[in-house]
Amino acid sequence: MTLAPHLDSKYIVRGELALGGLRDLAPSLRYASLLTEDGFSVVSVAGKEFDSNRFASMASSTQALADAVARELQLGDNEFVIVAAAHGHVVQVRVDDHPLVLAALFTDKETIGISLTAARRTARRLKTLLMAN
Amino acid sequence: MAEHVILFAGPMGAGKTSAIRALSEIDVVSTEAANSDRSVADKPTTTVALDYGEIGINEAEKVRLYGVPGQRRFDFMWTILAERAEGVLLLVNADADNPVETAIEYVKEFFALYERGGIVIGLTRADLVPRALIEEYANALADEMPDVMIPVLTVDARSQEEMMTLLMTLIANIELKQAVADSIGVGVGSGGRRAR
Repeated sequence: MTLAPHLDSKYIVRGELALGGLRDLAPSLRYASLLTEDGFSVVSVAGKEFDSNRFASMASSTQALADAVARELQLGDNEFVIVAAAHGHVVQVRVDDHPLVLAALFTDKETIGISLTAARRTARRLKTLLMAN
Repeated sequence: MAEHVILFAGPMGAGKTSAIRALSEIDVVSTEAANSDRSVADKPTTTVALDYGEIGINEAEKVRLYGVPGQRRFDFMWTILAERAEGVLLLVNADADNPVETAIEYVKEFFALYERGGIVIGLTRADLVPRALIEEYANALADEMPDVMIPVLTVDARSQEEMMTLLMTLIANIELKQAVADSIGVGVGSGGRRAR
């Protein structure tokens, strides 16, 4: 039986490695989580004030709703989700070929463009890390 | 056109998505994701935000059907969607662990909607257990909440006809409660029947 990603050390260790590099790409990172698409937290970094399980659940719902909107409007595959608020923004991207979502919260000191680029690079790096044996 | 907003709640694997698909006259909007927790419900996908469908019950009334995720980790969606709803169609799979306790737990969780409009319970998968007596559920509810009246029926969540019976039972309860409230000049809170 295949282990779920949030219980699989391969995902946890490589996820930590990938998320560790995210802050170097975008120093205003406040919190980041790698989660299964059904809302289990695999690994998270920074932001001890956040409830990792709740953040993962909300990110899962947000991702699914955005995917549903793209599907209903026949826009093709949803590429990313951005929630921009007065004091920061959340960027979410899927990890290709895996049932995983990377969700990262940045302060308003970062531009959304830099945050999005950093999140996408991190997701691609994680995909590469997961390809290795 | 008048409309009702009905929530479909209950544990993972009870048949909420199937029920909305059976009832809806439009293509159901679903938010399913790969299910990582096969120990709770052995199915490939699970709802993580909502299901949405619609059905007309006559020429003048439309029902909006919202399904919520079954897992408690998504309870923020329960709160969001309950704000607009006027009743809950609670599905409980009779072959789960402690289904009677689960039913009571969910009734308590959505009790504000009972007071606003109503709750009905549909027991699904009842054919898979040796005995799933409706009386057990009714008696447990009566013991726990003596002044509460909640209909309990066994249903096949995939059956349009059976789900329609359950839905109409709920709507009748909501309309009765609304009529009583109107007759004595008492509001039933937000989320009541709307006219568009």
